[in-house]
Amino acid sequence: MNPDFCYDTARLGEVLCEGIAEVTREEISDFRTLMGYTDPPKDPTVAPTSIGLIFGLRLGWEHAIFPPGVIRTGDEDEFGVPVRAGDTLRTQFSIANKFKAKGRRFMNYEMRTLNQRQELVCSIRFVGMIP
Amino acid sequence: MSEALMSNAGAAASCEDDLPVRQIAITQALIDRYADISQDFNPIHVDVAMAVGTPFGGTIAHGCIPLEPVFQAIQAWLGTDCLPSGSKMRLRYRAPSRPGDVITSSVKLTAAAQGQPDTVKILSFACHNQDARLVMDGECEVPV
Repeated sequence: MNPDFCYDTARLGEVLCEGIAEVTREEISDFRTLMGYTDPPKDPTVAPTSIGLIFGLRLGWEHAIFPPGVIRTGDEDEFGVPVRAGDTLRTQFSIANKFKAKGRRFMNYEMRTLNQRQELVCSIRFVGMIP
Repeated sequence: MSEALMSNAGAAASCEDDLPVRQIAITQALIDRYADISQDFNPIHVDVAMAVGTPFGGTIAHGCIPLEPVFQAIQAWLGTDCLPSGSKMRLRYRAPSRPGDVITSSVKLTAAAQGQPDTVKILSFACHNQDARLVMDGECEVPV
């Protein structure tokens, strides 16, 4: 595992990876179906807020930032402008800090997603319990 | 057919300060599909044989899955497809959600926000499984 992502040697507060995702209307529709939305959307080009979480998490897994077996224990999230079909989202991933509690190790991950107009889509901070 | 079962039965909230209730039925198929789109193939989510030998005793859902009814409840309350810009959420996961669970949201306007003419509503939320076990709780600030 990359030492930048390991508990003991993590580089804190720096952007560790960045990724781009283009959002399609089909992805939005598929996500709504998967998550069981029954009410028709007011605007089918607007994504549910929770879709923004996925792009950052996907980036983290693709870059193997998370150790296998990590358990998410809590979030602090801020949501910005809606995600729309055709948007290009750029997500930056960092590890904000790390700490120990009750004999367990935790890392505070942060992912920040902007759209092609540099508007904030979401800023997600979540705590992962390291196995 | 959707892999998640959402209920609109609670759309007429029981109390004026309660938001619509939403549910999600968790299946291994839903977890597997969510793993595909998030690329989160953590074995605790998708490797049924391995997960049996862990302290969880089986696979557990990704955290975003039991959280989804909260988003849907707030969006239904607002009549929008997504949360307003500037919304903030804090939450803690209290217990894992597993295949076979049905997760139900409970979202309320907090006492502090009731009757106040401010432009930000404070919502408290919790999600419970079919055994009334708390799986997560938290708070959401929503500009209105």
